[in-house]
Amino acid sequence: MSEIRKNLDELKRIAESPRAQLDRVLSEGKKAIGVIPYFAPEELVYAAGMVPFGMWGAETQVTESKRYYPAFYCSILHTALDLGIKGEFRGLSAVMIPLTCDSLKGMGTNWRFGVKDIPVIDVAYAQNRTIPAGEEFTESQFKKIRGQVEEIAGCKISDKALSEANRVYNANRKECLRFTELAASHARIVSLTDRALALKARYFMERDAHTELLRKVNDELAAMPAEQVKGKKIVTTGIIADSPELLSILQESGFVIAADQITHESVDFRALADETIDPVKALARRLNDIKGSSVLYDPAKGRNTELAQIAKACGADGVLWVLTKFCDPEEFDYVPAKEMLDAAGIPMLQIEIDQQMVNYEQVRTAIETFKDIL
Amino acid sequence: MADIFTLGIDMGSTASKCVILKNGREVVGSSIIDSGAGTTGPQRAFEACLKDAGIEQGQLSNITATGYGRNSFEAADFVISELSAHTLGVHTMYPQARTLLDIGGQDAKVMSIGESGRLENFLMNDKCAAGTGRFLEVMARILEVGVADLKDLDAKAEGTISISSTCTVFAESEVISQLAKEADIPSLVRGINASVAAKAASLVKRLGVKEPVYMTGGVARNTGVVRALEKELGTEITVSEIQQINGAYGAAVYGYGKVR
Repeated sequence: MSEIRKNLDELKRIAESPRAQLDRVLSEGKKAIGVIPYFAPEELVYAAGMVPFGMWGAETQVTESKRYYPAFYCSILHTALDLGIKGEFRGLSAVMIPLTCDSLKGMGTNWRFGVKDIPVIDVAYAQNRTIPAGEEFTESQFKKIRGQVEEIAGCKISDKALSEANRVYNANRKECLRFTELAASHARIVSLTDRALALKARYFMERDAHTELLRKVNDELAAMPAEQVKGKKIVTTGIIADSPELLSILQESGFVIAADQITHESVDFRALADETIDPVKALARRLNDIKGSSVLYDPAKGRNTELAQIAKACGADGVLWVLTKFCDPEEFDYVPAKEMLDAAGIPMLQIEIDQQMVNYEQVRTAIETFKDIL
Repeated sequence: MADIFTLGIDMGSTASKCVILKNGREVVGSSIIDSGAGTTGPQRAFEACLKDAGIEQGQLSNITATGYGRNSFEAADFVISELSAHTLGVHTMYPQARTLLDIGGQDAKVMSIGESGRLENFLMNDKCAAGTGRFLEVMARILEVGVADLKDLDAKAEGTISISSTCTVFAESEVISQLAKEADIPSLVRGINASVAAKAASLVKRLGVKEPVYMTGGVARNTGVVRALEKELGTEITVSEIQQINGAYGAAVYGYGKVR
């Protein structure tokens, strides 16, 4: 028990001190590359012997980024750019900026203007990612990025090293998925904050090190009997759901996250890279296999079908739609999702979150009432 | 058997409301203080309600707090969300109610209620003053009238001067600009009431209009808004007799349920 707590606390410490992790990496003489969401091919960074550093914004008040973005804008990008301008990412050798949503399309230009000391690696994906031409395009982009990463690293990335990176990342994904299942069945040991921070820590440390730490937690949890779930079981869905205040309200209300469809969490690690094919092609194909994210084009809106399936499979009492404020793709997905879940008899609550929120009272009221009606 | 007194206190953002129920049905005391959570309002409402009922705190079986400041009332035995309290309140008084729209000083909520009185679904406004009592307060201040006067001015209107801006700040500029043009005040007030109604109606429509529709909250006293809402929703709206203390009433009913 004490080992679990020790390891969870260590993951929490890492998740809560990203700058200290970056300083550690730099002090070890390694290079680090920032990775803005979503789904950038950071395996290339790992394969080049550098450390990818996740940049999902932060719970902070922005000042500098307001010169580049209007107030009504994605808070992940607002806060990430703000921290960049303020020098919080000093030491990064570059930053990968994908073009996955409309908000991200201006990020590269803004970053180049606002944060002159950290160069940008643009990451373009095919909109129609699942057709052969789309996969081919994405693969060609990843090959181009491979060259840019090699230039920063000062060395070539061999296919062998990239295959090894894919293996390391797949191992991490499997361990993360295992953790989400064990956390749900051991909710008295793993709080919702523990769960979120243990997963978040992977963005700020070498993936093999994260896997090792999380595996220790998982092995100990697996050796313990599963608990009887006392609270209401929910599935969370959305872009990101790591707000300490939100998690605390959910915990106090007795909710257990039985599974999630959060881009920052399970959506990122459910799809694996094929270890039997060319490693760059494997990265492009993994993008095709990712389901459940509003920021990846899917004309069939498979996210909603998957959401209902996840909720049914884990016996969830309801679904919590954590809407990142001003996120158009999420708002577009909500309407068909609501219709589908209503038809399936699965209650859903939508709450709106952004990383600059200071008052959660309305969220608290909504969550407490949601518990009452489940 | 001795009478059972339960007290419900609704600590809203702009007002504190209190109700004392005798044996779960009869309102024997009530109070409304125009100061909300974080002020002396809740305590004053509590004391005024005891005085109104003519009983001592020691005679209360329990106290249930609800509303924005519900977690800060130390004397509370139970705490429930305002959505649950409003639903319980309206169902106890009007068991036929299927939709409840509550517009308070700072927020608007709509609740869908099942036959058994169960809260089936709900929606809250999106952190915006438009469509709440706050919008009316801002406009009343510019017009140099009291919020309570808005319904009478609306009744005198012969036309409607529409307010196109949703944002309270921009709407304020729009109203000032109309005043500068010496616009007809009653017609302007009707436009202001219609603006609140349109925003609130969109919330109801998102949840789905299930008749009969009831309304509570301070804004329900403004018959101009109620009429405009009826037009927007295409249905009759019944304003609760205890529109401003419905949440506190529901909380007191909840407390009575705990005694039983």
